Parts: sequence; structure tokens; C-alpha cells
Amino acid sequence: MKRIMIVDDAAFMRASLRQILERNGFEVAEEAENGAEAVKKYSQCSPDLVTMDITMPVMTGLDALKEIIAIDPKAKVVMVSAMGQEVYIRESIINGAKTFIVKPFKEDYVVKTLNRILSI
Amino acid sequence: MTDQYTNEPMLDMFIFETSQLLEQLEECILSSEKTSSYTESSINEIFRIMHTIKGSSAMMLFNNISTLAHSIEDLFYYIREAKPEIVDTSSLSDLVLEGIDFIKVEVEKIKNGNDLDGDPSGLINSIQEFLSDLKQKNNYDLPVKSDEKTDTEKQQFYIKRDKLKEKDYNNTFKAIIYFEDDCEMFDIHAFTVLHNLKDIAHVILHIPEDIIDNENAEDAIKTNGFKIYLKTDYTNEDTYDFLMKIVSVKDVELVQLDEDDEELIQLIDNQNQDQDIEQDNVKVPVIVQENDKVESENKNKDTHVSSTQQSFISVNVAKLDKLMDLVGEMVIAEAMVIQNPDIQGLELENFHKASRQLSKITDEIQDIVMSIRMVPLSTTFHKMHRIVRDMSKKLGKEVQLIIAGEDTEVDKNVIEHISDPLMHLVRNAIDHGIEDAEERLNKGKPKTGTINLEAGNEGSDVVITVRDDGKGLNKEKILKKARENNMLFKNEADMTDKEIFNLILLPGFSTKDKITEYSGRGVGMDVVVRNIEAVGGSISIDSVPDAGTTVTLRIPLTLAIIDGMNLRVGKSCFTLPTISIKESFRPAKRDIIKDPDGNEMIMVRGQCYPILRLHEILKVKTDITEFTDGIVIMVEQNGKYFCLFADELLGQQQVVVKAMPEYIRRFKKD
Repeated sequence: MKRIMIVDDAAFMRASLRQILERNGFEVAEEAENGAEAVKKYSQCSPDLVTMDITMPVMTGLDALKEIIAIDPKAKVVMVSAMGQEVYIRESIINGAKTFIVKPFKEDYVVKTLNRILSI
Repeated sequence: MTDQYTNEPMLDMFIFETSQLLEQLEECILSSEKTSSYTESSINEIFRIMHTIKGSSAMMLFNNISTLAHSIEDLFYYIREAKPEIVDTSSLSDLVLEGIDFIKVEVEKIKNGNDLDGDPSGLINSIQEFLSDLKQKNNYDLPVKSDEKTDTEKQQFYIKRDKLKEKDYNNTFKAIIYFEDDCEMFDIHAFTVLHNLKDIAHVILHIPEDIIDNENAEDAIKTNGFKIYLKTDYTNEDTYDFLMKIVSVKDVELVQLDEDDEELIQLIDNQNQDQDIEQDNVKVPVIVQENDKVESENKNKDTHVSSTQQSFISVNVAKLDKLMDLVGEMVIAEAMVIQNPDIQGLELENFHKASRQLSKITDEIQDIVMSIRMVPLSTTFHKMHRIVRDMSKKLGKEVQLIIAGEDTEVDKNVIEHISDPLMHLVRNAIDHGIEDAEERLNKGKPKTGTINLEAGNEGSDVVITVRDDGKGLNKEKILKKARENNMLFKNEADMTDKEIFNLILLPGFSTKDKITEYSGRGVGMDVVVRNIEAVGGSISIDSVPDAGTTVTLRIPLTLAIIDGMNLRVGKSCFTLPTISIKESFRPAKRDIIKDPDGNEMIMVRGQCYPILRLHEILKVKTDITEFTDGIVIMVEQNGKYFCLFADELLGQQQVVVKAMPEYIRRFKKD
């Protein structure tokens, strides 16, 4: 089973995504509340994929992405954004994010996207 | 109370988190208001909270909440990025607080399983108007989609779009890429494709040309696909595979072209004419991390939010109630074992040793379970800031709220019952108690009225006081009102000041002549009393004319498991809480007297106390009717002392107090 790390400062969003992932055959290996935690836990947990919220306190998703890619250039990170964050998404792509999903999630699309990235 | 959390867990979490965020937000606004300025970190916090609420409520399809949150988010996005100089912070605070109230109301509806029928459009309009007003006043609209080089905050990031002439790739292709139907932001997916291609190909041109600033790009791509003309060394097959591997790509139409394909050359010429290309590069405006740098400097401020969250978990209150119940059952079962009639009088040293051990453990479990349910009063107290702010604003009085002892803990059940009474008392203090500024100055008082809200432990009770330094209660007015409405239960002349003041706790009492929005309807104080009594507490009021009024709430720490003294009346057993027992004794005949009305009294150390015959009050038959044959127990409640007459004391026991099961309650007469 593929192991995912969910990063989002809102407990509710983490829980929603966890629900979606767990009922579609993924294992949620770890959760993080902000970018700094995400970077730390990435090294400890080595998930197969990271879902990364963009707007977070302490360290943003973008900065966390950069640090994770620096640690592991092959890291698979999917940005989680809201409408209106195009600039940040683009910069994330430039910095190595594989793709992005938009809140509110469409379950099928999320699952499809993650499966595709994990199969590459 | 436990019904609130029977909705599905995601809903509970949404409600819990959103409520917490709203409280945080409100505190942030109120403290910003006090200093009349919004600091960078408050603005960030407000933005982030609104952003989160927008996201979560959209997930749950609570669209009215989501759109409102979105508009506030946009407002604070502007404030954060543009840093306008001229901001009407008072109206800004009002707007956000209105937004908070709206969302609070909708969340209540969610809790109760009702439809979310609130319409935020009026408020959203006001917010948008405020925003455009703000932009006008400050002559500055955010350069959201332009690439002004003069804006020093922005950094520009480039993707190279090499022209035909440069590095020589051998194969020319035209690719039309179709993305998955349900992906959003097609323009960014197109951007992703270009980014992926840059290492293995030159992208000669693409259609739509502008995928960054062009608002129509997304639709064009959705309908016609994303057209790319590229050169690469990859074969047809490999290029196809490469493109298909990009995550959001659904399909690719790939056609190999000759290098001098006419259509291609025509397109290049067209683009050269259309554009004023200064450089070979596509500019991607990025808003710089400067804000984030400041944010990380302030991160100590922000981390306090996440670090406190890490050491707590949220627990369903229904589970805690069940746990309390079970602990109560455990205490009873323990007593049934240890005091079992089968073993009475037997010499069982090992058994007694073991049962003492058991008692020790059950006591500890009891203590911990009680403490789990204990919650500090701070959240409830802090809610009062908002009340004070709103009321003082509306009534034009200056009032400050001083809080003390907010760390004092009470049972979770209790918190829910005292929140409304406290609000009412605070409102009363501002409405009736605190005089307006002029009057206060005339009296030699400071212009700003003060309300002291304090909590502390006294014995096994929690004592909460609401004290104001206003004009105090008017005894004459109260007596007059009581007289008029036949509420006097005692001769006026015999009433102590305290008893007079406590008259206002009676239902239907209000000396306020006008009914205001906040008070005067005479339904306030008695509801307060009822709420407090529902958790086993009591209220008393004291006042000094022109100095102020103090309302004291006394609430027992727990009702559920108490130390009791068993006593017998006739064949029945009753329990008295040991905490209320002052002393017990067998009276001497000479100490029993009768007062002029025929009530029995007893003399104890020179003081007279009334005696209540339990067998009469509880209507139990007993042979012991002479005081000298039974036992007199002096008890104290709320500062009042009296004596109870029972047959005999049986010994101490821990007693579990439970609510009567529903099927019995129905038959209980009031």
C-alpha cells in the first residue's frame, strides 16, 4: 500500500483528505501541521508521496517543498491549493511539485491523480 | 447536551475547528481594535483563518459560509499585499465581527441539524464596497496579473522559450494536449507541461500564447486543447509517451512536422508581429517571500497556536459523560463488595488489605476522571470581551473588563450552563450599573467604568463574581416594585440588605422602566438563577449605592460523587453531604425552646437555630420523636445554619448522585 504524508494546518482538511485516501486504498503514514514539521517528518517517515497545502504558518508549503526536494530530488509532492493561488502553484511546479489538486476536492480526481503520480 | 455531537465525525470536526478558529479570530480583532491598528502578524492570522474556513466549508458544501469567508480573505489579502496607509480600522473590525457572527449563527444551525439558510450577500456587498473604497483612498490596486517591473516586491521568474535558431533539435512536432475533464485551472496544467518539456525540447510556440495573464486561456485550452509546437530529439513514440506521462494529461494528438512547415512559419510570423517582445522570456510574476521572511521572524508568535494543539486531543463529550457514569457505577460496585453483608463481621485480613488497595485505585480513577472533565473558565471569560465591546459601543459608555482567576476550572457541563448567565450579568452591569461618562465624572469616578470578572476556589465550590463600579442597586426602588407586585415574602422591616437585593432574582422582576434591546424584560435574572441552580449552584447579590454591585455565583465542583453521611429516620436511610455538616450531638432537654410562632428552636452555645424534624419533612414513620432520643445535626448552606433531627447516624459513605431515569422522571411531581 502506498504511504502518503498529509500536510495542512487545518485539522479538518487533514481529516477530510485522510478519509478520502483511506477509503481508496492508500495508507496515511504521517500528518504535519506546517511546513517545518513536514520537512522534519519527511526525513523520518519517507512517504511515497506528500500532499502539501500552500498556505500554512511557520513555513509555507512552497518553502517546505523546496527543502524536501533539496533533501530528496525524487520526492513526489502534490500541492493542495485553493482557487486564486495560481502564482504559488506555478512557482511550486517550477520548484519540483509534480502537480496540484484544488480545494474543495473531487474525490475521483484526487485518487486518479495520486495513482498516476505513484505509478511513474 | 450530549446530543450535539451525534452528527458524523467529519461534521463534528468541522464544527469544532471552525468554532475554535472563530474564537481566535474574534480575539485577534478585539485586541487589534484596542490598539487601533492591525499588525502584520494579525493580518496574516486573519487571512489564514478566513482562508482555512473558506476551504473547509467549501469541502462540506456550506457555500454561504465559504463565499463570505472568501470575501473577507480577499479583503485581507489586499491589506496584506498592498499595505494601505489609510484604513478605517473601526469599520473594518465591525465588518469582520459581523462576518464572524454570521458564521457563528450558521454553525449553530449545523449543530442543530438545521438548514443553512443564512444569506451573506448583503454583508459580502458591504465588504466588497469597503475594499474598493480602500483601494480608491489609497490609489492603489494590486497589480495582480500585470508584470510591472517597478514593483520592487515582485521577483520575476523566467522560463526560457528559445527560438528556432538556437540549440538544434532534430524533430519537429505539433502536439495538441487534452487534459482530464475534471481538473481545474487548465492554464496551470498547461504551464506544467511546458515546465516538464523544457529539459528535453524547445517549445517554439504554443496556443494560447499567454497562459499566465490571459483569463480566456483556461477556456480555450478546455475546448480546443493546448497546442504546442516543439523541437526535440525524441522520436514520435517517445514524445507521445513523455507527454502522456504528465499527470493531468488525458490525451495527446501528436503530428510530426517538417522543419519548414508552412503553417508553423506563418504562426511564428504572426506572433512576432503581435508581440512587443523585449526579451526571449516569459515572465512569471511571483509574489516574493518577503512576507514569509517576516512571518518566520514572528513564528514564535504563531507557533504557540500549533504547539498547544499538539499536547491536547479533543474528546467527544458524550464519551466523557459515559465515563463519569461508569466511574459512579464503579464506586457503587466497590461499596457493594467491600460492605457486602455476606462478609460482615468476618475476620478477613487479606481481603481487607486488598480492598483497601482497590479503594485507593478507584479513588484515583475518580479524581482523574473528574479532572478530565474540568475545563478552565478562560474561554468563557474571554467571550465577555466581545459583549463588553459591543454594549459599550452601542450605549456610548466607556467600559473596561478586568478578568482574574480565569485558570479556575469547572466541570464541562457547568461551563455550558454559566455562559449565558454570565453574559446576562455583564450586560446588566453595563446597561443598568455603569453610568455614562458625564455622570461618572460628576461623581468623581474615573470616566471608564470597570467590570471585574473573577473566579476562584472556595472549599469545594467555585466562586465567580461579577463586580461593577457603577451606581449600585436602589433599595427603595426594589422594595417598591416588590410591594407593587406582591413579591414580598417577609416583612420589609425585617429584611436584610442582602435579602432586598436578592428580590431582583425573583421571576418577573425588573425595575427598569424601559425595555431595551438588552434588558428590562424581567425575564433575565430568573433565567440566570435557574441556570445556576441547574448545576447545583446559587447566586447572591450585594450592592453599595454609587459604589457598585457585586453578583456572586457559587457552584459546586461536582455533584456526581459526594462524600456523604448516612443517617436513619425510622426504617429509611438518607444521606447528607458531609461538607455541609458542622456538628452533630444529642441535645439536652433544656436547650429546646419554642419561638413565638410555635417553631421549635435549639440553643447552641448561646445562639438559636431552627430545628427541622426529618421524620415530618420526609414523612417517615419513626418511634423516635423526642429530641433527646435521637440526634441533632447542625448543617450549613449558603451561610445559613439550621439543625436537622434524625434517629441516628450510620456512618460515612461515598455516594453517587444520578439523575432519575426517564421512566421515573415522568411520574415525578414538580
